[in-house]
Amino acid sequence: MASGVLQITGLTKRYGATAALDNVNLDIPSDCYVSLLGASGSGKTVLLRVIAGFEEADAGAIVFAGRQMVGVPAFGREIGFVFQNFALFPHLSVYSNIAFGLENRAVGALRDRSELRDRVHAMIALVGLTGLESRGVHQISGGQRQRVALARTLVTEPRLILLDEPLGALDANLRLRMRGELRRIRDRLGVTFLHVTGSEAEALAMGDRVVVLDRGRVGQFDTPDVVFSQPASPAVAKSLNCYNLFGGKIDAGLFIAEDQRFKIAAPKAKSADISYAIRQDAIIIKDSDAEIEPDEDSINARYVASEYTGAAFMYFFRSESGAIIEVENHLSHRAMQNLDVGAQYTLVWKTEHALVFG
Amino acid sequence: MSVLSSEAIDSMDAPVVVKPSRNLSAYWLIAPGVLWMALFLVVPIVMIVYVSFWTQTTFKIEPILTTHSWEAFFASDTYVGALWTTIRIWLIVLFMTLLVGYPTALFVGLFIKNKTLSTALLVLCVIPFWTSFLIRVLAWRPMLGKEGAINIILQALHITSAPIDALLFTELSVIIGMTQIYCVFMVGPIAFMLGRIDPNVIEAARDLGAGFGRIFRTIILPLSMPGVVVGSIFVSVMVLGEFATASALSGRKVNMLGNIIVTQVGSLKWAFASVIGVILTILIGIVVASLLRVVDLKREL
Repeated sequence: MASGVLQITGLTKRYGATAALDNVNLDIPSDCYVSLLGASGSGKTVLLRVIAGFEEADAGAIVFAGRQMVGVPAFGREIGFVFQNFALFPHLSVYSNIAFGLENRAVGALRDRSELRDRVHAMIALVGLTGLESRGVHQISGGQRQRVALARTLVTEPRLILLDEPLGALDANLRLRMRGELRRIRDRLGVTFLHVTGSEAEALAMGDRVVVLDRGRVGQFDTPDVVFSQPASPAVAKSLNCYNLFGGKIDAGLFIAEDQRFKIAAPKAKSADISYAIRQDAIIIKDSDAEIEPDEDSINARYVASEYTGAAFMYFFRSESGAIIEVENHLSHRAMQNLDVGAQYTLVWKTEHALVFG
Repeated sequence: MSVLSSEAIDSMDAPVVVKPSRNLSAYWLIAPGVLWMALFLVVPIVMIVYVSFWTQTTFKIEPILTTHSWEAFFASDTYVGALWTTIRIWLIVLFMTLLVGYPTALFVGLFIKNKTLSTALLVLCVIPFWTSFLIRVLAWRPMLGKEGAINIILQALHITSAPIDALLFTELSVIIGMTQIYCVFMVGPIAFMLGRIDPNVIEAARDLGAGFGRIFRTIILPLSMPGVVVGSIFVSVMVLGEFATASALSGRKVNMLGNIIVTQVGSLKWAFASVIGVILTILIGIVVASLLRVVDLKREL
């Protein structure tokens, strides 16, 4: 018997010929912050909507808190959902928005006025909205609206809350603040959050566990550090947005990518897609005639452009075969390099830092 | 330099110079509208009020002020009766258009997820308006008549043994006709408001555990109220001023205020027609003003 609060087995959902979800299997533990990372079109929102009951799956089972969910309407599932655009009730005040679930739910609606007030006010205090109870939802800021959306769901005490890109509608500053806020609120309540995001930084920073969704399939489900340092497949590495990937074949202990040969040090990860991955920040830029050590590998490339990101510089190179190679140079480790556009450089990395899939 | 007064120097401040010219162009923009409203709305209304106090004799009307026409209106059971008939028919038709129109709008605006299909269905509601008003009204006669379609069907199905007379040339036929004709003016605004509801808002309510009845009462109905008010204003204004449907479908047995204006103007009783015109205008004014109190349209739209 699995221990998690939510078990998903063989979940499949098709729109015409394309499979939005393709045999998804997940076991989400209770009292945990799970982030769900996927590119747009990877099926992450569909997965969330199927779990919430807004859409029915074509095949597969969802068991939530020991209850079979297929056929149970959304209002009977007791799974919370926080929408990307918040979807607050536009004609109601902050207080009435948050009280809506307790007052109006079909099962166990709260009739006792004073208990209702106490619970709503406690929730308003928890999310830090005290003093705004009687405001209309158009009279508060984006971050406050986000808190109302969260409080409205939390107050009904679901054991699982689905958040569909909850920080997507906020500006960058607020997004960083709300990250900590969301984790703090979850810790206090001990519920499970399933947080969908397209941002790898957000997924890694927030999740106790990270699910990487790739074209409707679960690419990896593990802790953030494992997902980051040992992606299970080239597709997972790609969605982390910090690896340079080379396609090619493996021959006699060497990885052959077009005209390059790389040594293979670490045991290779099993994957149908044969690829060689090197992290953007593991590459050192050297002059084209530089010496290569025996424990290193290298590729020649032309410098194209750079991008200053504050703490780091991103350098973009084009290899002889035309692939773009990105190098991230943290300014705390290395000084800024002045490179000539169009000139040849040798990009060098330690063989042991590379990941090989095949 | 001595020519420049201190005000002239002040006025050289850029915003001060720009402001009056901008205001001037704004006045030019509203001038045609103001002129139009004055000529074709304010002046005629003032004129009607004025004429209602003129002295009317059998063959001529003179600008000698008297309250005679007003006294005649309130002394006559026929005319006061027509006022009540107008109010009664208006209330019933308003209720009926809501009863038929709201579910239709709910279906078109909310349950049809496909935008193209919902627009197509709304256009379908408007198609009857491609024929003339009189034809639409008169088409009810062969439907409702003693040997009309409805009576034939009822008898063929052995639901009734004899034709029902009451279907045509009664208040019932007037109400049926008006409900059909004005229903679309209720459907349109309500469907528009319902179409603007974010589907996520309804999903959020479902997710919070509310069933459809609750969601309808607490979310859908309040959010569609501006549509209901606008639709009600459309229907009210048109029904209160009605005369054609009433005379065509009642065989002139049902007299609304509009019908009386038509007869009085026909017999050149301008002063008396003006009295009824003023009463009708006040009635419509009260109805529209009280409907606008239900919802703050400026805020909601």
